[in-house]
Amino acid sequence: MEQTGVRLTPAMEATVREEEMLLNVGPQHPSTHGVLRLLVKLSGETILDCDPVIGYLHRGTEKLAEDLQYTQIIPYTDRLDYLAAMLNNYAFCHTVEEALGLEIPERAEYLRVIVMELNRIASHLLFIGTYLLDLGAMSPFLYVFQERERIVQMFNKICGARLTYNYMRIGGVKWDAPPGWLEEVAAFVPFMRERIKMYDELITNNEIFLHRVRGVGVYDTETALAYGLSGINLRCTGYEWDLRRKKPYSIYDRFDFDIPVGKNGDCFDRYYLHLLEMEQSLRIVEQALQQIPASGPVLGKVPKVIRVPAGEYYSAIEGARGELGFYIVSDGKDKPYRMKIRKPSFVNLQILPRLLKGQPIANLIAILGAVDIVLGEVDA
Amino acid sequence: MSETNDQVQGQSADAPSARVAAEARPASVHPEGHRPAGERPAGERPAARKPAAPPDPRVEAAKETAARIGAVIAQALGEAAVEETGAAHRTPMVRVRKQDWLAAVSLLKDHPDWRLNYVECMAGTDYPEYIEIALYVQSTSQGHFVCLKTRTDRQDAEVPSLVPCHPGVNWEEREIYDLLGVRFTGHPDLRRIMLWEGFAGHPLRKDYSEWGEGST
Repeated sequence: MEQTGVRLTPAMEATVREEEMLLNVGPQHPSTHGVLRLLVKLSGETILDCDPVIGYLHRGTEKLAEDLQYTQIIPYTDRLDYLAAMLNNYAFCHTVEEALGLEIPERAEYLRVIVMELNRIASHLLFIGTYLLDLGAMSPFLYVFQERERIVQMFNKICGARLTYNYMRIGGVKWDAPPGWLEEVAAFVPFMRERIKMYDELITNNEIFLHRVRGVGVYDTETALAYGLSGINLRCTGYEWDLRRKKPYSIYDRFDFDIPVGKNGDCFDRYYLHLLEMEQSLRIVEQALQQIPASGPVLGKVPKVIRVPAGEYYSAIEGARGELGFYIVSDGKDKPYRMKIRKPSFVNLQILPRLLKGQPIANLIAILGAVDIVLGEVDA
Repeated sequence: MSETNDQVQGQSADAPSARVAAEARPASVHPEGHRPAGERPAGERPAARKPAAPPDPRVEAAKETAARIGAVIAQALGEAAVEETGAAHRTPMVRVRKQDWLAAVSLLKDHPDWRLNYVECMAGTDYPEYIEIALYVQSTSQGHFVCLKTRTDRQDAEVPSLVPCHPGVNWEEREIYDLLGVRFTGHPDLRRIMLWEGFAGHPLRKDYSEWGEGST
């Protein structure tokens, strides 16, 4: 009170007290991207502590998988990170294929890469839209849905679904591209390039936006590694770590692409990397369209009932949000004995309390939004 | 199916046999009616059809790496600390005694030759006789990918927490505690994470019943 120059009488002073306040954010709150509850302990406007409460969307996918045949599990993976279902499909199929030692037909591999990278773009677009919406900018959210709609329409044509694709199978993909589909993707690439440029001009140098995100929620590489962060949450600290390069899977070794990294590890870098990664995904799609064989099978020779040899298998891919892995223990039957999902959103969210401590309450949404979580995946 | 299956070598020695696992499950949830008429159960396949495939060099390399890691742990913590070395598919696998779990993981994190500093995945599995914790951990500087394991009894399941060494496994351990009922000693905040406090039982246990009977 002395600092403010206000002088209180002893009687008044006795009534003034500072106390901690508990603020409940969510679970039904538009900025939590699903149903996440944050118990925030405040002193004035400063966050003292934060306790994320999760599990509102817990469906027990790992338990359900124990009573499902391997092919039956694929649609369940769609419902994890529902913004990047193609990547989930692939991560699961890839693990089973590794276990079986299957050969994947060339055309299927290319179709997989094309849909995965398109899905990464769609997911990143939605991040940009919702992040700006969280920060109070309404229009980007409406803009990004235009490009995302084109991607979703293309997915609808190739697999008949807009959100939960169930497109991949163990040993390949379910459907070949319909006539004209690859040309449609080819036409989308330059269109998307232009749009990325537009977003860069509209958002990246926006003064109000920069004030909200620059230097906010900073951490370094050491911290990120200790917390097991992956994906953009790790790369924003300037550390080049992308499983497409570190543990090449599928046919990613055939493409020429860069791995953008940040400098400061703040919310701005996390936003900007999403923009830069979309550009790299477009490069991969472009090269895949040039290299894809004109025809050929899209599903390899796979036994009707898939039995994974007894043993345990873990393999991971670079998902839209980080390292997305499946750990499967098999006892030689047609259903997994145990399936564990390595969920990038779940692991990445752990750092939130640490980032929030000591921050003003106004930064809460900016920091939470940049972690880029999908609650379907966090809760599994 | 035998052609594709037999190509894969390096099956982990501790995978449950089909018989034991079937016993651990409630019979009602595991009908045998789904098997096509032409398929033989895995256990009844005649041995003569299995060709003697040469060992997979990747699996052999993984076993050799695992033996070297085992030697590092044994040197620092005693021979008894290392219970098994081998390969989990193509990943080097070292199984450590429960008491030495935290010490062994910390040792490998700081060891100049290994520097296993970045946790990929932590999973618990309920086997008929024990619960196994598998930690997939990698080295960002040396490029190693390793699977470390430890086992605990099903009754009174308890494992030292790795949070002092890898803060990032905090929630993974909470999840294993929640769904498998393994207590992590030394964990700073061991609470249920997916289910609510007061939930009866641990669903990922094989003997869990949603009606409350037989759940632990």
